[in-house]
Amino acid sequence: MYKQTEDRRSFLKKMAILSAVTTATAMFPGILFAEEQTKNLPVGDLEWKKAPCRFCGVGCGVKVGIENGKAVAVKGDPNSTVNKGLCCVKGYHAVISMYGKDRLTKPLVKKNGKYVETSMKEALDLVASKLKETREQHGNDSVSIYGSGQWTIPDGYVASKFFKGCLSTNNVEANARLCMAGAVGGFLTTFGIDEPMGCYEDIDHADVFVLWGNNMAEMHPVLFSRLLDQKYKRKAVIIDFATRTTRTSVAANKSILFKPQTDLAVANAICHEILRNGWENKEFVSKYCNLSKGKTNIGYGLEDKFKFKEEASAINLDEFKKFLEDYTPEKVEKISGVSAKDIKYMASLYGDPNKKVTSFWCMGMNQHTRATWINNLVYNIHLLTGKISTPGNSPFSLTGQPSACGTVREVGTLTNRLPYGVVMNPKHREKAAKIWNVPVSNIPPKPTYHTVEMFRALDRGDIKFMWIQVTNPMVTLPNVNRYTDAAKKEGRFIVVSDIYPTPTTDIADVILPSAMWVEREGLFGNSERRTQYFEQMVNPPGECMSDTWQLIEVARRLGFQEQFPYKEETHIEEIYNEYRQFHNNKKHNMAPLEVLKEEAGMQWPYVDGKPTQWRFNAKYDPACTKEGFDFYGKPDGKAIIWQRPYEAPPEVPTEEFPFWLNTGRVLEHWHTGSMTRRIPVLNRAVPHAYVELNPVDAKRLGISDGDMVLLTSKRGKLKMPALINGRGLPPVGQVFTPFFDENMLVNKLTLDAYDPISKQPDYKKCAVRVEKA
Amino acid sequence: MIVANSLRATNEDAYTPIIEQVDDEFTILPDESGVFERAKYAIDYENIPLDIPGERTLSDYYKTQAYHGAPPYIPHPISNDRTIGEGTCLQCHQNGGYVAIYDAYAPVTPHPEKVNCRQCHVGKETNSLFKESTYPGLKAPKTGTKFTVTAPPVIPHQLQLHENCLACHAGPAAPKEIRVTHPERVNCRQCHVVNNQEVVPVPDFTRKTEY
Repeated sequence: MYKQTEDRRSFLKKMAILSAVTTATAMFPGILFAEEQTKNLPVGDLEWKKAPCRFCGVGCGVKVGIENGKAVAVKGDPNSTVNKGLCCVKGYHAVISMYGKDRLTKPLVKKNGKYVETSMKEALDLVASKLKETREQHGNDSVSIYGSGQWTIPDGYVASKFFKGCLSTNNVEANARLCMAGAVGGFLTTFGIDEPMGCYEDIDHADVFVLWGNNMAEMHPVLFSRLLDQKYKRKAVIIDFATRTTRTSVAANKSILFKPQTDLAVANAICHEILRNGWENKEFVSKYCNLSKGKTNIGYGLEDKFKFKEEASAINLDEFKKFLEDYTPEKVEKISGVSAKDIKYMASLYGDPNKKVTSFWCMGMNQHTRATWINNLVYNIHLLTGKISTPGNSPFSLTGQPSACGTVREVGTLTNRLPYGVVMNPKHREKAAKIWNVPVSNIPPKPTYHTVEMFRALDRGDIKFMWIQVTNPMVTLPNVNRYTDAAKKEGRFIVVSDIYPTPTTDIADVILPSAMWVEREGLFGNSERRTQYFEQMVNPPGECMSDTWQLIEVARRLGFQEQFPYKEETHIEEIYNEYRQFHNNKKHNMAPLEVLKEEAGMQWPYVDGKPTQWRFNAKYDPACTKEGFDFYGKPDGKAIIWQRPYEAPPEVPTEEFPFWLNTGRVLEHWHTGSMTRRIPVLNRAVPHAYVELNPVDAKRLGISDGDMVLLTSKRGKLKMPALINGRGLPPVGQVFTPFFDENMLVNKLTLDAYDPISKQPDYKKCAVRVEKA
Repeated sequence: MIVANSLRATNEDAYTPIIEQVDDEFTILPDESGVFERAKYAIDYENIPLDIPGERTLSDYYKTQAYHGAPPYIPHPISNDRTIGEGTCLQCHQNGGYVAIYDAYAPVTPHPEKVNCRQCHVGKETNSLFKESTYPGLKAPKTGTKFTVTAPPVIPHQLQLHENCLACHAGPAAPKEIRVTHPERVNCRQCHVVNNQEVVPVPDFTRKTEY
């Protein structure tokens, strides 16, 4: 790896001139491996097999090392264009998550308040008979399934086919509603078609990165490393636009803090500045954009059975400019706390015709009671400047789960969706019915409950049976107390498929042990439209069974053999090939399985043997039917610039509850920590949750680092230790706490208000009282 | 009231000059402050040549400490004893580099902002002892603290005053056993997490049975 050149004296001479001369001679880039670092390492006889990482939505390609039938090691797959051989600490230790001591290996059935081990056959019989009985007694819409963005593509596909196609209910939802629905709302309203137009290669071309409420250094570390590479090598500029100071702020060229919810106002102010200075791309706007306005004062969904219907009407550019007069940088400075100077600075970056700008966001914008609006507003900036669908110019919504895109958004495991289109559209229903081999009358034309409303329906008793797979809603639902109580009510039957005991398995009547990740065969789809395949590499423990196969077994018990005829050995391939028929068009064609088995994933639309990196641009996207840009999700090929105002959040700090509470993740733990906390190295790094306080508040309240703090909201109380001057620094008047810790359930405090358009709740803003405990 | 302002001065200037009211009370995150820092004039870590005969070893380094984590003593003569250190020490120890008179490379300090060097780092006038001691010391952790064959090693030491990873883990003065192979990856803690049990051992995760 390294070599020693020449004699030491001449070498030292070269050292002396090194700072002046940076020629490549006498330099050995990067690699300086001391033998001492590796000499004690065990040498394994490992077989390496490729897979996407189990954890976040970045979708790193990994190689899993298999030895004696166990997955023992992970390394980054150098062939993956996503991560180019690098992982984060979670990825490197991902295999350990399969071997926790308390792994569920046998089905458990609750009998007289106690869990009794049973066989898989009996457990599935019970689930099937309960499902049948509940439908017969209470109707089709009394049963439901709740999955997640960790569902593999086949899991989600069979769930949708089974419930929508066979059981005639649209009670199909997934936790991506709590996570990516806002992004979907934004894509559908602005572009008429879901998922990012760009890809990760945008990072290699952009001059400026604006991170909208996205602590990328912790949440998408591998991508952030690609940003840092560009920062150091190409002098790319990173702007961290956030409500709290984090590692990302420290690493960025500039950190700009704003008050919660005021991203709406700042985005409008940026548009105001762009138009005031004439920085808009006039040709792009006139050729490829329409302008619209929608309803205002749209509510927050706090009450049961809340309904919202958008009413959109066209506007012209002058009307839009008039609307933006309320959003001058000086006016917005007062709302947002962001100086007019910083607003003008951000506008100048977006407005500079010689700079390529990529915006990244994730939960900060998507977990927002105006999630659709803020997504629309950031698209406005990119559309006004024409900085979209070209390398380096990209508004990019990242995802947090490995298959939030691949399964929930593409297969459409949401109440209103089908694998192609929506349940409301008769043509889409016909297409689904044909491929599913069911009568079209089976698929109900009306959506039923989105996630929050689905759990409210469980509380009310409208839903009696719920099957929860690969997710932990009793930790992740906002205002979780209500829903935990709901699930425990008499007459509710809850089935939970998972790999470890969690607060969600605690409320189950039947617990089905699942096979996870590379214990089964499957496919994930990441943030950049990349579909990735993984084979089964090891045997699942005990009676663990994949979620796909659990669903098939139950469907067959209910008499749907014809719809689920798959062979056990080849079912994943059969299901994927069936599913591909839904997307058999230039706008969404998926790569064939043979290709996915060979390659480190492929991006759709996959047309004529090639993936598409930038959509809507005729130069790159074969689905475009006209020159230049074609936003083909809309009938006239034009994207919409939306007039959306700033509206306050439903709950703001008061005298009684004077602090903003923000929740989120940490680098070491993923989602509710049910996997990462069973990885010793990660648990030791961050053993429990904490509440971050600003030192000024801490001093005023007499709280020192590590002291127990009592947080109280209108919905609940929680004690947790304080973290002062740790990895995150909330501004005065704000506190932050990670949500991974089931022993300190912060969602007892959060508010179940949601975005009326996308139905996505806001976990980033509610009001709490902070006291020394 | 929340004051939203830029975290710290950077090389990025807005184009409109407006007088900024900066409440600069907290400009750093102590636990994180150095993670992305590099010494201003430090050599290009990514392109450092290797000088094998001049390498320091981990045991050389540990010999300068009374126990693991203790401030190293100053192993060379000190030209001026009437100084707190400051610029005098930082001349060599801020950015490192080859020092001809010792035929060695100056180690880089991870905390150049703490300028009273001599409050912690002392010289050594003699090798003899006043009285023998039974102090057992604190053993340094072994290298290769990995959880799987390919896993990145964990950080087995406290971060306080050692937030800047590259100061000790890159460059010609870095002990060869702990020198990073990939100094260009600056977000160290994306892969390497603290597993330091010196203060409180962390038990494995257990579920609470009652909520």
